[in-house]
Amino acid sequence: MKPFPPSSARQAGIGPLQPRRFGLVNWIGLGALTGRQIRGGLADYHYQVLGPVVSCLLYLTIFHLAISTMRGNAGGDLLAFIAPGLIIYAACEKAYEASAATLILDKHERVIFDQLMAPVTAFERSLAYCIGPAICGLAVGLAVAVMSLVFAPLRPHDPLALIFFAVAGTIMHGLIGTLVGVWAQKWDQYAAIMTFMLLPLSFLSGVFYRIADLPELAQQVIRFNPIFYVIDGFRHGLTGEGTDLGLAVSVVAIVDLVLFLWVYIWFRTGYRLKP
Amino acid sequence: MLIPKSSSVACQGLSGGWGSHAPAGLASQSHRQYFLAMQNSTQPGGLSSAPFSNPTLPRLAPRAYGGFNWIGFGTLYAKEVRRFIAVGTQTILAPMVTTLLFLAVFVLALGHSVDQVGGQPYILFLVPGLIMMAMTQNAFANTSSSLMIAKVQGNIVDLLMPPLSPLEQTIGVAAGGLTRGLAVGLATGLAMWIFVPITIAHPLFALFHGVMASLLLALIGMLAGIWAEKFDHMAAVTNFVITPLSFLSGTFYSTERLSPAWKAVAHVNPFFYMIDGFRYGFIGHADGSLAAGIAILCVSNLVLLVLVHRCFARGYKLKA
Repeated sequence: MKPFPPSSARQAGIGPLQPRRFGLVNWIGLGALTGRQIRGGLADYHYQVLGPVVSCLLYLTIFHLAISTMRGNAGGDLLAFIAPGLIIYAACEKAYEASAATLILDKHERVIFDQLMAPVTAFERSLAYCIGPAICGLAVGLAVAVMSLVFAPLRPHDPLALIFFAVAGTIMHGLIGTLVGVWAQKWDQYAAIMTFMLLPLSFLSGVFYRIADLPELAQQVIRFNPIFYVIDGFRHGLTGEGTDLGLAVSVVAIVDLVLFLWVYIWFRTGYRLKP
Repeated sequence: MLIPKSSSVACQGLSGGWGSHAPAGLASQSHRQYFLAMQNSTQPGGLSSAPFSNPTLPRLAPRAYGGFNWIGFGTLYAKEVRRFIAVGTQTILAPMVTTLLFLAVFVLALGHSVDQVGGQPYILFLVPGLIMMAMTQNAFANTSSSLMIAKVQGNIVDLLMPPLSPLEQTIGVAAGGLTRGLAVGLATGLAMWIFVPITIAHPLFALFHGVMASLLLALIGMLAGIWAEKFDHMAAVTNFVITPLSFLSGTFYSTERLSPAWKAVAHVNPFFYMIDGFRYGFIGHADGSLAAGIAILCVSNLVLLVLVHRCFARGYKLKA
C-alpha cells in the first residue's frame, strides 16, 4: 500500500493526513456556528429586520396619535417611556426567533446532524447559541432605536447599563429560544410559547406602562418575572428612570447563567436531538 | 369491446384536466361542461354507454349537478373550517389572548389620562375596534395561508381538479375565512365581556359590518394567497399592508380630533369604515359617514369577489 501523501509531497513538507487539532476551544467551529445563526436570522433583512421595525413604528405612531387626540402636548414623556420598552422588546423577540426557528427548521429538515457530528463541544454549541441570536437581536434593536428617534429624543443616560441589559436580555431570550427549539416538535409549540408566554410576560411587565400604576398585588407578582428586570434596566440605561439597578443586574445575570447551564446540559446529553 | 372504450373514457376524464392529451374539443371545456357533455350524450356507443352490460346494475355515469354544486361547495367549506378548528389554540385562542393583552396594555397606558372618547369611556370605545381588528386579521390569515400552503405543498390540485366551478371555489374558501373571522370575533367579544360591561346598541348593524369586513379580508387574503409565491411574500403583505392599515384605522383613537393630515389618511383607509361602522353598532357613535361606509364595504366586496372569481376562472398563478 502506497503511503499517503506521496513521497514527493512529503519532501515538499506536507506531513501525513490527520485530524485537525484544536486547542481548548474550537474557534473555527464556534465561529462557523455563530455565523450560521446570524446569517439565518438576518439574511432576508427585508422581512426579518424591516418587519419588527415597521411594527414598532406602528406602535409608536398609534400611541402618538392616541395621546395627541387625548391630552394635548403632555404625551411626549409617555412616548419617551414607551420607546425604550419597544426597542428591548423587539430585540428580545428577534433573539428568541433566531435561535428557536433555526433549531426547529434544522430538526425538520434533518440537517441538525451536521451540527451534532461536527467536532464542536456542547459548551461551544451553547456559546454559539448565545452569541448568534444576541447579535441578531441587537441588530434589530439598533434599527428600531434609530427609527424611534423620530418620535422621542432618546439620549443614553447610563450607557453601561444600557449595553449590559441589551446584551443580557437578548442572550436570555436567545437561550429560551434554544430550549424551545430543542424541545418543540412542531411550529405550533414555538408559536404557543411566543403568544402565551413571552408576549404576555413582556407586555404586562412594563413595555407600555409604569407598573407603579398597578395594584400592589400585581406589582408583587411582576417582580417574579425576569423579563421585567430586563425591560426596567434597559429603560433605566436610556432614560434614567428610577429602578433598583443592583437587584436588576443580579437577577438578569443569574437567570442568564441558569439558562446557559440548562442549554449546556441539554446539548451535552443530546436531549431530543440525538436518538 | 365495451371495456376498452370505457377505460379510454376514463383516460380522457383524467387527462382532460391538463388539456394536453385530451381531444381538442374537450381540452377547452371546463370539467363541469365535460361531465355534463358525458351525461347528456345519448348516442349509442357514445360517452355515456354503460361499461357493463348487466341490466341489474345501475347505469354508471358521472354525478349530475344542478346550477350549483352544493356537495362540492359544502365539502370545500367544511375542509376550510376543519383546517382552522384542528389548530384552535393557534387560530382562535391565540388571537383572543393577544387582543385581551392589547386591551389591558392600552387601558393601563392611556386609560388614566383619558376621560371620554366619543361620549364613552375609553375602554368601551376601544373594545369594538379591537374585536374588529382580530376578526379582519384572522379572516385574512385563514384564506391566505390556506391557498399559500396548498400551493407550496402542491395539493392545490385537490381544489382545482374536482368539479367545482370558479364561483364555488371562490365562495367556498372565502366562507371559510369569514367563519374564522366571526369565530374569533365571538370568542374575543365573550372574553372581553368578562372584564368589560359591553353593550350592543344596534346588533344587526354590528353583525352586518362584522360579516362584510371579514368577507372583505377573506377575499383580500385569497388574492394575496394566489399572488404570493413564497411565505416571505405573504409575510411582507401582512407586515407592510394589512397590519399598518388595521392599526392606523382609528381603533385606538377617535379620528375626530386628529390633525387634518392624519384625518385625511384615516378616512381613505377602508379599514376605518369597517371599524367605525362596527363601533357604531356597539356604542351608537360614529366618527365618519355610515352610508359611505356601507357603500364602500358593499362595492369593494363585490369588486373583490369578481376579481378572485376571474383569478380562479383563468387559473392565474394556479394552473400551469
